Amino acid sequence: MKIQHQLKIISNKKITDKLYHLVLEHGKLAAQVKPGQFVEVRIQESLEPFFRRPFSVFRSQKAVEIFYEVRGKGTGILSSQVKGAMLDVMGPLGTAFTLPAKKIKQVVMIGGGIGVAPFMALSDALKNRGHDLLLLYGGRSKEFTFNMAEFKKNGCKVFISTDDGSVGVKGRVSELFDKIEINPDTTMLYTCGPRPMMASVQKFAQEHGLKGQCSCEEVMACGVGVCLGCVVKTTAGYKTVCHDGPVFDLHEIVW
Amino acid sequence: MNLSVKIANLKFSNPVTVASGTFGAVGECWDLKAAKQLGAIVPKTVTLLPQQGNLPPRIVETPSGMVNAIGIENDGIDAFIENKLSMYAKIGVPVIVSISGKSDEEFQIMAEKLAGLSSVSAIELNLSCPNLKHKVLVAQDAGATQQVVALVRKIVNQPIIAKLSPNVTSIADIAAAAEAAGADAVSMVNTFQAMVIDVEKRKSMIGNFTGGLSGPAIRPIAVNMVYQTAQRIKIPIMAMGGISNAEDALQFLIAGATMVAVGTMSFIDPNTAIKVLDGIKVYMRKHKINDIKDLIGFIK
Repeated sequence: MKIQHQLKIISNKKITDKLYHLVLEHGKLAAQVKPGQFVEVRIQESLEPFFRRPFSVFRSQKAVEIFYEVRGKGTGILSSQVKGAMLDVMGPLGTAFTLPAKKIKQVVMIGGGIGVAPFMALSDALKNRGHDLLLLYGGRSKEFTFNMAEFKKNGCKVFISTDDGSVGVKGRVSELFDKIEINPDTTMLYTCGPRPMMASVQKFAQEHGLKGQCSCEEVMACGVGVCLGCVVKTTAGYKTVCHDGPVFDLHEIVW
Repeated sequence: MNLSVKIANLKFSNPVTVASGTFGAVGECWDLKAAKQLGAIVPKTVTLLPQQGNLPPRIVETPSGMVNAIGIENDGIDAFIENKLSMYAKIGVPVIVSISGKSDEEFQIMAEKLAGLSSVSAIELNLSCPNLKHKVLVAQDAGATQQVVALVRKIVNQPIIAKLSPNVTSIADIAAAAEAAGADAVSMVNTFQAMVIDVEKRKSMIGNFTGGLSGPAIRPIAVNMVYQTAQRIKIPIMAMGGISNAEDALQFLIAGATMVAVGTMSFIDPNTAIKVLDGIKVYMRKHKINDIKDLIGFIK
């Protein structure tokens, strides 16, 4: 399978102060991406920034869509890329979310910050499949809650917490864990976000015997499991986020 | 056009290969057709026993390069021979197996395991490893380098390539020691000891505290080291150090390298080695050079 693609930028819009929505032409890539998988984007044809940047795919229907937050040099330059420019994109990379079995009644997606991005692809795949979809979303402020309507369109019940209380419950996303049905046979958790948040989800799941998956993030070089740079500690030793992950069993990660 | 080169009696269809640790067969993300075009392949260094590697973070981006401290994470030489070697051999180009030992004894045991294997075309000795008996890296001590090379020389018939560290006063001296001990080639350079500090946290950005710098940032230093070493030794040099395109590779060839290895840049663009090879051909056509040997070391 060819994993390196030259994709044209259809749009690269600023959504809020720091958040951008990048849409790339279909190529052959969009049809191949499964929910949870990611792409490695070469920000520009230059040695600066040096590494590609990994982004989980927000949506891959008519195009490859990425939501990203401008955090540093790489995303800063990416935000200045304009419609029509070509980007060198490697993908689809890594593992995908395992879709829930039929008997799963409640699917709980727990996202923090920009970590909510892969759950759009997941909810696209899960809508109208008979599960109750629940999104528990923790953001810093109102700015980070802009795309919740899209989740609602996919049939998700959305609950929000913000650090500053500007939307939803004030505090961490763990304030929303009371929405989770404690039933090991029929509840499935998915989480993606900052490490402390995913660790709290793991702890909650362990206390209540719930199954789940988490999507990890690390600085990456190769993106294909060769350099062994992006490892996380797991119960079975170090594993690469780019190739063994980014989606892991929730209970496998040693935070 | 003749691009073939030799190390001892081992012939390579062209001088372009990969640096150990930057090339591997993982899942489907491996372009077999591309790998077939290379002069040789060099899988990641293996050690006698499995190693879990260093504490993360293991990599950090730097200007035109990266610092890494992976810690040679690998399953050990037995698992490599059993699970991976035949897969690499199937590509159909020479396989140069890179080994690293913590002691002379470890090098000896690994050499014995590889000596009789026809699928192992050559052996690279990764000497940038702390040696239990020496306070410095083997590659930082001419005597220790000579000792390891001589030891392996007695055991294997395959060509031996000594991989040298640039973290020395004179890399040419170490290369000369490797040559005197019977090495058939040297590969150079390994990474430069380096460090990146997060000033907000006042902590190293590498779990291992320090790491090795690679990528185009080191290329001009590496070119000079290859040039200096080529003046000293008669055995071939396999050069690496930030090669990102054909022009970079040509600099090393003109400086005196017989082969060139693409390393870190393969992480950024997995097609780099093939682009380098294609670019060398274009250059030779343009300059009417029929044999790559007429380029090697011909600096005006």
